[in-house]
Amino acid sequence: MLSRTNISVQRRGQLRAVASLRWRMFVNGLRTTRGKTELVSRVIVTLAFALGGFGGFAAAAGVAWWLVSEDKAQFLVALLWPIFFFWQVFPVMATAFTNNPDSSDLLRFPLTYRSYFVIRLAYGFFDPASALGSVGLFGVFLGISIARPSLSLWAFAVLTTFALFNLVLMQTVFAWVERWLAQRRTREILGVLFILFMLSFQLIGPMTQRFERRPSPQLKRAAEIAGQVQGVLPPGLTGDAIAQVAHGEYLVGSTSLLFLATLTVAIGYLLHLRLHRQFLGENLSEATARPAVAEVQSLRMGWNLRGFAPSVAAVFEKEMRYLGRSGPMLLTLIMPLFMLLIFRLGPMSTMRHSTLLHRAPDLAFPGAVAYALVVLTNLVYNSFGGDGAGVQFFYASPARFRQIVLGKNLTHAAILAADTILAWIAVSFFYGPPAPAISIATLAGLLFAAPLNFTAGNLLSIYAPKKRDFATFGRQNASQTTVLASLGVQLVTVGIGAAVFMIGRFYHNLWIATAVFLGLSVISMSLYVTVLGRMDDIAIERRETLIAELCRA
Amino acid sequence: MDSAHTISTEGLTRRFGELVAVDNVNLRVAPGQFFGFLGPNGAGKSTTIKMLTGLLAPSSGRIEILGLDLVAHPVEVKRQIGVVPEGMALFGRLTGAEFLSFAGRMYGLDRETAAKRAAELLEFMQLAGEPKKLVTDYSHGMQKKLALAAAVIHGPKVLFLDEPFEGVDAIAAGTLKSMLQGMITRGATVFLTSHVLEIVERLCSHVAIIHQGKLVAQGSLEELRAGVEAQAPAATGDGATSGEKLTLEQIFLRIVGGTRRTEQELSWLG
Repeated sequence: MLSRTNISVQRRGQLRAVASLRWRMFVNGLRTTRGKTELVSRVIVTLAFALGGFGGFAAAAGVAWWLVSEDKAQFLVALLWPIFFFWQVFPVMATAFTNNPDSSDLLRFPLTYRSYFVIRLAYGFFDPASALGSVGLFGVFLGISIARPSLSLWAFAVLTTFALFNLVLMQTVFAWVERWLAQRRTREILGVLFILFMLSFQLIGPMTQRFERRPSPQLKRAAEIAGQVQGVLPPGLTGDAIAQVAHGEYLVGSTSLLFLATLTVAIGYLLHLRLHRQFLGENLSEATARPAVAEVQSLRMGWNLRGFAPSVAAVFEKEMRYLGRSGPMLLTLIMPLFMLLIFRLGPMSTMRHSTLLHRAPDLAFPGAVAYALVVLTNLVYNSFGGDGAGVQFFYASPARFRQIVLGKNLTHAAILAADTILAWIAVSFFYGPPAPAISIATLAGLLFAAPLNFTAGNLLSIYAPKKRDFATFGRQNASQTTVLASLGVQLVTVGIGAAVFMIGRFYHNLWIATAVFLGLSVISMSLYVTVLGRMDDIAIERRETLIAELCRA
Repeated sequence: MDSAHTISTEGLTRRFGELVAVDNVNLRVAPGQFFGFLGPNGAGKSTTIKMLTGLLAPSSGRIEILGLDLVAHPVEVKRQIGVVPEGMALFGRLTGAEFLSFAGRMYGLDRETAAKRAAELLEFMQLAGEPKKLVTDYSHGMQKKLALAAAVIHGPKVLFLDEPFEGVDAIAAGTLKSMLQGMITRGATVFLTSHVLEIVERLCSHVAIIHQGKLVAQGSLEELRAGVEAQAPAATGDGATSGEKLTLEQIFLRIVGGTRRTEQELSWLG
């Protein structure tokens, strides 16, 4: 038996080995040109995030300094809620940017459960959302410390607990959502809950509008209750713990911190339940039981797509089946609807009359559609990632790559069409039906933006592929080159789209926007067709990289 | 190049930086042959098979399959060959029937033919009993059988198999062997790599051995045996005794110059 000291030494050795492994993987990755490109892209992406992080840091520090200086520490909560939302929602909203490597490969080694838990948390800390959230909290800490140095030690303890809470909660959400989406029954329950959630919002909308028209004591009462409820939630507890101590109420402040720490431990326990199952070798795949009597296999005809080659239809069918069996991917694809909900009824709705969408509700539909295009990033810009070793089949078969890519793009287009229809329905409920001019201009905008994104996505799928498992959630890295390039293309398309809409609004005639978009769509479609035509040559030229990356164990 | 051969290569070479993984290989495989391609680990077997099937570009040299230049006519060649590469090239989140139907259509079969052949193959491979099971949930042996089924669904004239018997149990291996024998009987050519020399000896009519990227022997088993015996008639510590026919393993060891370590060198091992 190993003594406690030996176990501790062994654990430290293992943690050092994992850190060293990550470092060696990074260094060895630089041996290839692709690895070097990845590094450059990573530096640029990090700089972009750092810039945003610095902005957040400066704003958080300035506002916190002002609030504490003006003896208004109770309003610090207004800073903590946005940080909390960003930390928790950004990784789900923008999964392409999530940088959270899968640690389950380490299970083959004699790793103690505690080490495994620590490694998972450490990996989570390097996620951009965690890094930026931490920077924001550091800004709050600095602002408080400058305004009132005597408060800095306490603020440090409270904000560190809050940061730990966010880190643990993010990991817990990923772990449990992955668990729920892995099995059909829980997936169906989640689906029903989502529909009920949507329906309930339809009822809340008219209710809040009624209250808005006729201020009533009930509304005030509801606002008071909401204020009390937020006070017992983590951002509220954090703000309260600092504010109470700032006002000399040490016991109340300590109680809030104790509550926050208890919540962190409770959420940590939920994470422990999941990670411990993973540590014991849990497999969430749903293999059906062996039938007592062999089932009769009915003849199963593949799908037919009129006007397309059989290989295109076969790829389309395969992609749709993959998506239908990937809970995490389906969740990502319905995110535009969540975003509409957040804008309509989330925290921003308290600033109802000042937000962009409430001043210009006609932009809700194009905004939702633009976001729908953004959430397709993982699929469009890494379209071979989910195929893994199957990519060899494409190379060994006589099908042309342009047909394979076209089949994949048809899937992307189908999803985009479905998301667009859903967004239209959702916008109609939340903001009223979009005017025909705005609807048509948006569709024309899609005709321009979608082919452009597909073109860039097809190229990056071959030039910077990254193997991904459709069954896991938030545990995979995207290629940094892809992240950077997709960000660039999307900034350009969304920027052009916004400019064209502004021109239309300026002249009070959105048909101008439609005409401009249709003109631009001719260019983007020509580009798409040209690149698609070259796909066979590009795929042959890049076959070694593609196969080596995607067939990796 | 010889058009009488199903597979022929001339000066086939593949370099990875400074390493010459396959060095000036000239292969000749005649129609209807069951051809075993052998070599120690890292000898260049998988690299060669990848080049022969269009999964990897040669650095130099020519490849002809069924009389067609692979580089000039890749699609025409791929229509007539079947491949089970290293890693099997499966799509894990499809069911067996969906995958085979997909494979058939990618090889140009119409929907009905693809569906019928998929059902027949699943039945033959004893994979039809669990139609809703995803490929990712198949055992290793089941995946090998499915990969082979996908490689033959279009009735190829040449079949390339990279380690088809690796990790396969005796029952599944029997099914695979009977299918491959059936194909040979009907005139197809099978080219396989394997580490299991007993299986190669039993199945293959012709063998080539690659060592450190170079083709060091090629021919029928008898030709190889005669060649080895002519060069080194005396026993060389590989268990062969005079008068007995050399096994493929003994031929292989003599050609590649391998020796087994018999002494216990890793004394710290249990």
